[in-house]
Amino acid sequence: MLEIKELTIAYKDVPRVHDFNLSLGQGEICSIVGESGSGKTTVIRAVLGLLAGGGKIVKGDILFEGKSMLTHTAEEWRKLRGTDISMIFQDSGAMMNPTRRIGAVFWEYIRTHQKDISKKEAWAKGIEMLERMGLPNGDNIMRSYPFQLSGGMRQRVGIAMAMTYQPKLLLADEPTSALDVTTQAQIVRQMMELRDNYGTSIIVVTHNLGVAAYMSDNIVVMKDGRIEDAGTGSHILSNSDNDYTRKLLDAVPTLDGASYV
Amino acid sequence: MLNESNVVLQANHILKNFPASGNRTLTACNDVTLSVQKGKTLGIVGESGCGKSTFVKMLVQLEEPTKGEILFHGKNIVELSSHEKWMNRQKIQMVFQDPFSAFNPKMKIIDIVTEPLLNFGRIKKSEKAAYAKKLLQMVELPEDFIYRYPHNMSGGQRQRIGIARALSLEPEILICDESTSALDVSIQKTIVELLTRLQREKQISIVFICHDPALVQSLSHQIAVMYLGCVVETISGQHAWRTALHPYTKALFGAVFSIDMDRSKKIEPIGGEAPSPLDVPNGCPFQNRCEHCMEKCREKRPELVEVEPGHQVACHMITSR
Repeated sequence: MLEIKELTIAYKDVPRVHDFNLSLGQGEICSIVGESGSGKTTVIRAVLGLLAGGGKIVKGDILFEGKSMLTHTAEEWRKLRGTDISMIFQDSGAMMNPTRRIGAVFWEYIRTHQKDISKKEAWAKGIEMLERMGLPNGDNIMRSYPFQLSGGMRQRVGIAMAMTYQPKLLLADEPTSALDVTTQAQIVRQMMELRDNYGTSIIVVTHNLGVAAYMSDNIVVMKDGRIEDAGTGSHILSNSDNDYTRKLLDAVPTLDGASYV
Repeated sequence: MLNESNVVLQANHILKNFPASGNRTLTACNDVTLSVQKGKTLGIVGESGCGKSTFVKMLVQLEEPTKGEILFHGKNIVELSSHEKWMNRQKIQMVFQDPFSAFNPKMKIIDIVTEPLLNFGRIKKSEKAAYAKKLLQMVELPEDFIYRYPHNMSGGQRQRIGIARALSLEPEILICDESTSALDVSIQKTIVELLTRLQREKQISIVFICHDPALVQSLSHQIAVMYLGCVVETISGQHAWRTALHPYTKALFGAVFSIDMDRSKKIEPIGGEAPSPLDVPNGCPFQNRCEHCMEKCREKRPELVEVEPGHQVACHMITSR
């Protein structure tokens, strides 16, 4: 469904991501892992055409359902974003306008994509989405400001917004890094249910190998803008002979793992 | 396990209230009793907002408890005069969470790591470079880094500077508030190795706050689990996840994603959220998320009861058995 071929991305003429390849089928979950600065976020931002700070694709191609995305006009991008492809950010609360209530933002989002919907219907649709994402009392949340919600709730609001139009592809940039372990487990579970219920393909960028291991079919390990290792989840975890992958795996604290004391 | 004579710091029945809007009070710490042993690590885990940071801020005397006492070598540090407090701070130092905002961006490393020494008149200005080099050597950084600025360094290197600054006064207790949370896993590992090495060499006591139960378990001698301002369980660090008894501790360990876990096993996260500390329920703080909640749990708050040496639990279900 999504195919990234030999993608090279440069910021100010300095290439930062080199020859990135990825192929994702329908209903698959792929994780991109790596240390900070390895180019993980750059890759998924490129998929949505949202490269920051003068980033440019200098080589390669991104095909979404067989069609190259690089030649899209602004109008075509607008149709794609938020409906067919949507994104969840690290802190969904920071992405929302702090001076506006959740309801107003949600309502605007729906009305932008669906011009003919009435205010009332849009409001009801928002509540329905929130409740489907496991947020009881949707009406109350729609009337709250982002800062009144906890981190886990805000992240769920972000997921609810992203899932409103049942996108074919969901991009998640460190969706659980800012959360507690218990909330993280809830969100991971939620994302896996999205895949099971709606057949959404998901790309997750994360530095938590445990999360990547649990939820993904395929894992891509990145280092300094290059693919260091790639394969199915179980291959990367148990059979990979790549030194860097092994080093990353060794560094993850586990309950049964080494003790320093 | 717990040896009375080795206790460096003992916090007794700490209560901390903050005033909140509308004449309400926010209870950040509710009757916390914990002790720190010489040369050992006390790990504190819990979700955000459970009062773990407030608790350590009281240990370094950045906050004052509303009620309760903190005994440092048997002396209550809450009642010290401001000069005594200042002198006492040499003994308890802190490493912060965010290495990007913990330093003055206009100061060079040499000034950052020797500032505490100069403040307390331990060295002369002419000795700065020599001391700074020694400190960098201790945290495994090249000596010529002393002329750099913090922005020229990576997150892991900066966190090492944070440790060097905290240890420059040779404190007895080092407090690490989420000191590795902002770092990559591979960097996190090297920082943890550094901390444990320094602890062995210098016999420092460490209070380590973290929200990753797996990491806390790997480096703590004793773990305290906090929930909504209360300590719900204290447990020996080794194999804590096997011996944990409190339902919240179990849920916390159960939510850890492990690379070697069984992927077909469904994770069962506890539902819901912690209640607001503005509105602490009567009875057990964990009642609304606990699947074993009984009549008694809603009425009476369980107290910490020792179930075996070094292992205390506050839960009616376990202690009434």
